[in-house]
Amino acid sequence: MSSAADGIAAFCGETWAVLGKEWKCELRTRYALSTVFLFAFTTLVMVSLAVGPIGSDPKNLPLLPVFLWLILLFAAAAGLPRTFVHEEESHSADALRLSARPASLFCGKCLYNLTLLLALELVVTPLFIGMLKLPVERPWDLAAALLGGGIGLAVGSTLIAAMVSQARSRGPLFAVLAFPVLLPVVKLAIEASLGAVLGEPAEMALMLVFLYDSMITIASLMLFPAIFNP
Amino acid sequence: MDEPNRLRVEGLHRGFGRLKVLRDVSAEVVAGEILLVTGANGSGKSTLLRCLAGLMAPQKGRIELRLGGRLLPIDERRRAVGFLSPELRLYDELTCYENLEFFCRLRRLDPARGGQLLERLELPQDRPAGVLSSGMRQRLRWAFALLHRPPVLLLDEPLQNLDAPGRAQVLALLDEFLEDGLAVVANPERLDLPRMEKKLELRR
Repeated sequence: MSSAADGIAAFCGETWAVLGKEWKCELRTRYALSTVFLFAFTTLVMVSLAVGPIGSDPKNLPLLPVFLWLILLFAAAAGLPRTFVHEEESHSADALRLSARPASLFCGKCLYNLTLLLALELVVTPLFIGMLKLPVERPWDLAAALLGGGIGLAVGSTLIAAMVSQARSRGPLFAVLAFPVLLPVVKLAIEASLGAVLGEPAEMALMLVFLYDSMITIASLMLFPAIFNP
Repeated sequence: MDEPNRLRVEGLHRGFGRLKVLRDVSAEVVAGEILLVTGANGSGKSTLLRCLAGLMAPQKGRIELRLGGRLLPIDERRRAVGFLSPELRLYDELTCYENLEFFCRLRRLDPARGGQLLERLELPQDRPAGVLSSGMRQRLRWAFALLHRPPVLLLDEPLQNLDAPGRAQVLALLDEFLEDGLAVVANPERLDLPRMEKKLELRR
């Protein structure tokens, strides 16, 4: 096997190992799962009870993707910052620093956050559509917006969580750092979702979402080693 | 003939704010030797080991780890050393075997290596690390440090919490390791090994 192929195989193996470990630990503690899903479900029920099935009135339609992404954003913000922080607090971060390559560690953590978010979207979105009577003219565009927005949220949250884990006062830091990093992707995902709801072309917004995803991924892979290692 | 593995520290400084912990520390140790680092509490023994492992950056000075004559960059040094410290913990949610299996996979090692070390150190494979006694936790740290057959061992309080059989087991492992490896040991207590020792005393 050539050294490049060997390097890729090693990277994939290490990333897969981190992803597997994250899910194994999560399924035993259910910290992020319960936080993210309970937060999303509670907010969804509150929104639904407060405004009712407003999707049947076309003039309310522009509001609904905003509600959907607010639920997803805050649920993610409640559960994802634990990435890395848990390891720093439990003193297992040093074992990771001594054993893992930063790129595969970051990608493994990122994939864990992404799979968690996609699972959340898979549960929350149909419930949201049903409870608020949201018509979706272009379902595949909505699916693409959810995927692209989910990738952006997962990568951005993983990077911010790595920064927060190295700080002394961790409390409000995630919210402060998340605002400038996650705002663009959420704004673009709302635009793309609105296009899908109204049946209007959303190609430009979708393209920008995936462009943001590529840029934040490249920037994260470059920054992460300097953030995580001394 | 290959140059022996060598760890060299020169003019190392490290502080925390105004507190200067390490001041102009220099030492050298080659394969087959142990460097015993002694000193009072707060003299910087653990800080020195963290700097050597690449877990903390020195503010001044040089650390050189040469394997077969080749100088390792810090990323490689970090992955090359075997490190044990009282603060180091593995994942409480995973069993002893799962912990070592995970680190084997990160290092592309056969997971059977973890099982062998657990057997050697008489650790239960399927007990979660979170419910281990302090002595068993220390044995698990030893297994983690030796997992990848490192050329260098950095041991901070290596005999802490171990009972007599545990001490005998880890000292036998250390003796085997020193056939061709080198070790830096902080807070060594009584090692009783017939090995070439060097001493470094740190002062507050």
